[in-house]
Amino acid sequence: MCNPTTQISTQLASTKGLTPSPTWLTNFLTTQRPTTPLPVLTQTACFRLLASDIITSLSTNAATCFPPDIYNANIKERKLTGPIAVQVLAVENMSKSRWEQIEAIEALERGEGTKGREIIRVAATEEEHNESAGVAKGGGPHKLALQDATGKRVYGIELKGLEEVGLGMSMGCKMVLRNVVVARGMVLLEPVTVTVLGGKIEGLHKAWKEGRKAELKAAIEAGERVA
Amino acid sequence: MSRKILCVAEKPSIAKSVAQHLSGGQFNTHSIRDNAFIKNYEFDFNFSPPWGQCSVIMTSVVGHLTGLEFAQEYRKWNACAPGQLFDAPVETGVDKDKKAIAANITSQAKCARALFIWTDCDREGEHIGSEVRQAAFEGNRTIEVKRAQFSNTERAHIIGAAQNPINLDDRQVNAVAARIELDLRLGAAFTRFQTLTLQTMGGDLQDRIISYGSCQFPTLGFVVDRYFAVQKFVPEKFWGIKVTHNRKDMEVTFSWRRHRLFDRASVVIMFERCLTARIAKVTKLQKKPTSKWRPLPLTTVELQKLGSMYLRIDSQRVMRVILHIKPLCPLFMVHQIAEELYNKGWISYPRTETDTFDKSMDLKRLIEKQGQDQAWGGYALTLLREGFKQPRGGRHNDQAHPPIHPVNYVAPGSLADDERRVYEFVVRRFLACCSEDAKGESTTVEIQYGDEAFSANGLIVLERNFLDVYPYEKWTSSQPLPKFSLNESFEPAEANITEGETTAPGYLTEPELISLMDANGIGTDATMAEHIAKIKEREYVMTQPRAGSAQTNGTTSRGGRGGRGGRGRSRGGSSAGGGGGGGGSVQQFIPTTLGVALIEGYNGVGLETSLGKPFLRKEMEIKMKEICAGTKSRNDFLHETLEQYREVFVRTQQQAGVLKAACRKYVFGDQP
Repeated sequence: MCNPTTQISTQLASTKGLTPSPTWLTNFLTTQRPTTPLPVLTQTACFRLLASDIITSLSTNAATCFPPDIYNANIKERKLTGPIAVQVLAVENMSKSRWEQIEAIEALERGEGTKGREIIRVAATEEEHNESAGVAKGGGPHKLALQDATGKRVYGIELKGLEEVGLGMSMGCKMVLRNVVVARGMVLLEPVTVTVLGGKIEGLHKAWKEGRKAELKAAIEAGERVA
Repeated sequence: MSRKILCVAEKPSIAKSVAQHLSGGQFNTHSIRDNAFIKNYEFDFNFSPPWGQCSVIMTSVVGHLTGLEFAQEYRKWNACAPGQLFDAPVETGVDKDKKAIAANITSQAKCARALFIWTDCDREGEHIGSEVRQAAFEGNRTIEVKRAQFSNTERAHIIGAAQNPINLDDRQVNAVAARIELDLRLGAAFTRFQTLTLQTMGGDLQDRIISYGSCQFPTLGFVVDRYFAVQKFVPEKFWGIKVTHNRKDMEVTFSWRRHRLFDRASVVIMFERCLTARIAKVTKLQKKPTSKWRPLPLTTVELQKLGSMYLRIDSQRVMRVILHIKPLCPLFMVHQIAEELYNKGWISYPRTETDTFDKSMDLKRLIEKQGQDQAWGGYALTLLREGFKQPRGGRHNDQAHPPIHPVNYVAPGSLADDERRVYEFVVRRFLACCSEDAKGESTTVEIQYGDEAFSANGLIVLERNFLDVYPYEKWTSSQPLPKFSLNESFEPAEANITEGETTAPGYLTEPELISLMDANGIGTDATMAEHIAKIKEREYVMTQPRAGSAQTNGTTSRGGRGGRGGRGRSRGGSSAGGGGGGGGSVQQFIPTTLGVALIEGYNGVGLETSLGKPFLRKEMEIKMKEICAGTKSRNDFLHETLEQYREVFVRTQQQAGVLKAACRKYVFGDQP
């Protein structure tokens, strides 16, 4: 009989493009009942991976991570075969000014929304919903901060629209890149090269959400200094 | 039985023109005691059954006859705690300067069989009608009361109204009565409270009455919100890609589908990929008919918005009017002028929310009357022969008045300058409504260049139609586009990265403020201009002319995209129109330090029910409509609304420090 560690590992790599590290997988299996059938184990492992920080959960093979010279801006274009699993650390909408986004966040903080010219009260319970519906839809292209299993952070831009990408997405969301083009150190994201697996890292998401207004303000100030 | 019918209009000018029409010009004029403006016109008229041939006394009031006041012991500022005014007894009394007018109605009613009320047909007019009824009852408990339904003072219409009277609508009367009571209680309670509270701060606030109004504060709130949006604004750089190509001596500019991005590095990478691709390919070629829609029938709100945009009112007129009523914004004046034109019988009642003409109205007859004009007569006559179209219908209908339209022809030369401008606008708008849409052909060329998509648009105007009579909107052909074919590849002559910077929004203008009030249910079309004038008078806001009106950049190309669908079309239309009129006198509002302090103060006490936000007042307006529809009682409405505001009042009293802190910060400029 085959070792379940290997089986799960192979299964996840071939179906999801995720290569869990042996340590993580061993730890994971100790928390599961030995009688659990393999498909269920594999599925649970996948869920756990999506909610994990991939720095601790995925193995760091050269093939499934960004190359060391990924930042080299002199390389006009290159293709990475992958599959490279990454997690999303931040997202921003490049088509809207940061100030406009700050104003929208502040209106929500006041509990106000707009319907055409009408100013409407947005009930607190609706807030979450409204934010993901109102702010997330439309707009773009987005710029994402991506991180691979080694902890390397690279920017990705949504060259062609990805349905799952937007301001309403969860931070820590996992994506797998195959045959992706990297231009001047920037990953070009398109539906054909990106598979969005989903998932969320709670702490990261909360921190990002709470810090977004400050981030936007800081970005404006940084922009002013450059200009 | 008496054969006398008493008719009472809302103002003397209407009484006179109704008397003229009903009598055929044959009437006796009598003065009344103690009032030089009101006349009684006496004549005979053959009413429909059961009245038949009757002698008529036609007279009028001047607006409301009565006023609501607190009982004597509550009138003095220090007579009671302001909070008591929510429940203090109130009493209705005939205004001192209206006593002679009421007495005239009472005495004329004594030997009359019926009272016909000829007040304006709107909520306020209905209430004034009830005051007239009350005055008549004082003289004659059994007088029969009827109401004439009319929306302009054209002869046939007036005679029709006299023949088909209806009953006074007590629901509308109740709605207004409740509103008057709320205005009194809320106005007095908050005015006394905030004045007394802020007086203690001394300085500028020591001897000042800081009055409150439930419509004025949200109106002020809009001005303050925009003021802060302008003040806090931070400009940001953005980048784009522009592609140009030359063909047959014509230069075509392709604009980027992404329009602009706020991330330079990303744009540079996208741009580089375009250059690397070198060749662009035509992916879509589309030629389609497009049109610019003719305007909707004219409502009061539209007249006010467009009026203050297009109809420059000369300063002489401003001076002349300022002597009577202060202070006036051009918008308020447009309204006044329209009222004068209505009183003289040239246009229909200018207070209306309706933007749909009733199918039964004989619009062609109205067009015909304009046929004699030198400027637009030719157009009107051609329109009658060919091309007349039933106007588009909007979604508003107040069920009382038709859209504003010319009733009779008057030679523009015989009107004062401002009246002429407003009359001309009303006529041209009406003719435009009855015309064909303007027709054109739009061409779109889309190209794929690297990973990016670009497009160029062309517009050819084929038939101007309504635009010929309506110079307030512009729609012009663009530069012609050279020929491209589908799937064709070419190497663009040039591609560049463009750079720009966002600019702060402007301070709120009159048309914008009107739109905001309208969308948020603050005031009615009839009262919006008054609320705006009030917040100026109370020195909560100042106005200044907007420097350079270049806010409509680039709308021509947007208009050219016409065929996209109703929304894109009408948007392009209206903004292009804004640029077209080119009136340099658009006023913008800036709050005074006191205005800012009041709004910030109330927002600080509680956002959801802040007096500076439109929410509470909007609810009030909705409930008033429910009274008119018969789904809510006057007492429930009064009770609910008073309780809502009482809560705010109590909270504001408890947190008076927040209000004071806002004044310290903004009025006295103290650092917190």
